[in-house]
This record gives sequence, structure tokens and C-alpha cells, in this order.
Amino acid sequence: MGEMDTLKKEADGLKTQIETARKAVNDTTMAAVASGVAAAPRIQLKNRKTLKGHLAKIYGLHWSADNRHMVSASQDGKLLIWDTYTGNKVYAVPLKSSWVMSCSMAPSGNLVASGGLDNMCTIVNIKAASPKTIRELDAHEGYLSHSRFLNDSEILTASGDTTCCLWDLETGKQKVVYKSHVGDCMCLAMSPDQNTFISGACDSSAKLWDIRDGGCKQTFIGHTSDINAIAFFPSGTAIITGSDDCTLKMYDLRADQEVNGYQDAALNAGVTSVSLSSSGRLVFAGYDNFNCNIWDSLKAEKVGVLSGHDNRVSCIGVPDDGLGICTGSWDSFLKIWN
Amino acid sequence: MSGKVCSNNSVMQARRTVEQLRVEASMERIKISTAAAQLVQYCQEHSRSDPLLTGISASSNPFKDKKTCVLL
Repeated sequence: MGEMDTLKKEADGLKTQIETARKAVNDTTMAAVASGVAAAPRIQLKNRKTLKGHLAKIYGLHWSADNRHMVSASQDGKLLIWDTYTGNKVYAVPLKSSWVMSCSMAPSGNLVASGGLDNMCTIVNIKAASPKTIRELDAHEGYLSHSRFLNDSEILTASGDTTCCLWDLETGKQKVVYKSHVGDCMCLAMSPDQNTFISGACDSSAKLWDIRDGGCKQTFIGHTSDINAIAFFPSGTAIITGSDDCTLKMYDLRADQEVNGYQDAALNAGVTSVSLSSSGRLVFAGYDNFNCNIWDSLKAEKVGVLSGHDNRVSCIGVPDDGLGICTGSWDSFLKIWN
Repeated sequence: MSGKVCSNNSVMQARRTVEQLRVEASMERIKISTAAAQLVQYCQEHSRSDPLLTGISASSNPFKDKKTCVLL
């Protein structure tokens, strides 16, 4: 048992070293730096569209890169692809397993992915004569919580088996497996330059990974419960996490630590989802208490609320052009606001 | 025999943890004052082109239901 003791001592020593290094660059607070910035205006967005069609809880949504179409997933066993400008459903994809937890669309708009308690990520070509399953990615040992396409031949997945994975869609095989979390991986987000991605897990930590070599570069701690949602700040130099501990945190990647926290003593609902406006100034967070709160990312003040759902807001997304925000809920509706 | 396998797994896990911590400890960090200032600058540079911050006119709002015009 001598080696275990040595290793434990070394691990503790390295953790202390990291904490010391973080403290050494902790020379001010975001509050202080942002004190000279004008307050963000009170944000009052109107519900422009309500997309009706799902028959059960909505668990995921993802905007197309064309800023107009969107895919949503519901435990009614369907993926629906919407034209959000008209509110019409363009495609319906029936799922083999209705226990879906996430969905995503490829940047090309040709493919959609879904997965959940079946532990698989199913890839469907929606541009074929009728939606056709082209791959069933089947190597995770736990539920599929999240997925994001890099392109039509590569997809990243996050799983309840504590790993994330990069898949080759041409072969259907795993290219890279990202192992370091010690709790279920719940969410992931790709960096704007697509060289790295971040994951959030039930071990209360978020991790930054090199997409190509599979290495975990940084680990961000501070949350006291599962991290359900994660997003990159648009500059790519910071990340925002949302947790069951009812708070959101901003971590700066180069200072390697938390630089801002978004919480309210009156809030005792977990954060389910997060998305940022195009400048990064506004953080939209969906909560278990049926609302979506809007935070000023710099001053950490609440600047608005989106209320209108009759159940938990489970997913949220801002399209690339920043022209609106969509919320998806367990009440089976999607709402678009701006 | 199984006891030995278990402890080997724990040792392997502990070695991986130490290797990972070594990678993370070796990182060069920048001061929060610099990092935060750059985040503030990014927000300010992009605020005018952020539709959710500045508002969207009815004519350029793709989600707003347009009322049809009838030319009499």
C-alpha cells in the first residue's frame, strides 16, 4: 500500500500547487473590473412564436446553422424539425426509443442526432427522400446526455458512463474517448474554433478537452452539485456553467478559475440549460421553476425573466445570428422570444 | 487474487489522477485583471450588434407575425 500513500501525497501536493497558482493571479474581481461599465438595460422580450406539436416533455432543442430551422426532441418518441419563421413542422423523425435526452443538428443541416436511455446516438439523414437512420453509435455504457456535430462525418457525445466521445460517422466507430470525469457527463459545448470542447458532469466539475488528442487540459471546480448546462462565452476565452446547486458560474480559461457567479438567495431551483446572446453580455438560464432568468454576464445582476411555460424549462438556445432565443419545456411547447 | 486486482485498479486510477493533476498544474495562468478586462472589452465591442441587447425593429424581425397589407 506504500505506492497508494505516495500517490495520494503527490495528488494532494499538486492540488495545493494549483490552488496557490490560482490565488497568485487572483488580483481583482469581475465586479471591480465591470464597475465602470454601464448597466445592461432591463430586458423585456416578447413571446413571438409558440411551437406546438410535441405530445410529451421536451428534453432538447438545437438551432440549425441557417438560423431558421431547429430540431427538438420529446419523450413522445419524436424529433421534430421546425421552420421557426413560419412555425411549421418540416420533418418528423420517429425514434426507436422514446427515452430521448438530447438532440442536435449538423452545421450542414443534412443530419440530426438523438439519444438517451438507449445509450446510443442515432444519426438520421433528414434530406433523404424520407428521414433515414444512417448510423447507430453504440459503445457508451451509460445514457446519452448530449451530442454536437463537428461536421457531417464527426460527432461529439457526452454520456452517463462518465466519458465523452468523438465518433467517426463513416465507420460508426469511436475515434477518441475523453476520460477523466468521475460522475455522469451531462452536457458539452464546442469552442468557437472547434479545437477544444468543454463538458459538465455530476461530479460538480467542468473540464476543457483537446478534441484531437483527447487530453483534459483544465478542470474547473466550485459548484456543489451536478452541472447540467455549459456554454462558451463567444470570445472562446471563458465558459458559463449551470448547476443543480441553483447557480451559474463564469470561469475564465486563461486565469483558470471562477471569475463570476450568478445566484439569488430567493432562487432555489436548479439550472437546467444555458445560452448566451451574441455579444456574451446576456446569459439566458432555464430553471426547474418553469422560468428562464436573464443575467448580465459582467455585473451578475438579473436583468429580465422569460415566463410563460407551465413546467420546467429543460432546454434553451440562441441561433448563431443572435436574433432570438428559444426555450423548450416539459409542458411540450417551444417558445421563441425576442 | 481478486483483492490484488482491485488494488491494482486503485493504483492505476491514482496514477492517472496524479498524471492529470501534473498536466493541470503546469499551466501558465494570466491575471484576472487582464482576463476580466478582455471579457468586458469583448462585450462592449459587440454590444451594438447584439439584437437581444439592442432590440429588433418590427421590419427586421423574422419571428414577428407580419400583418398582411391590402392595397385598395
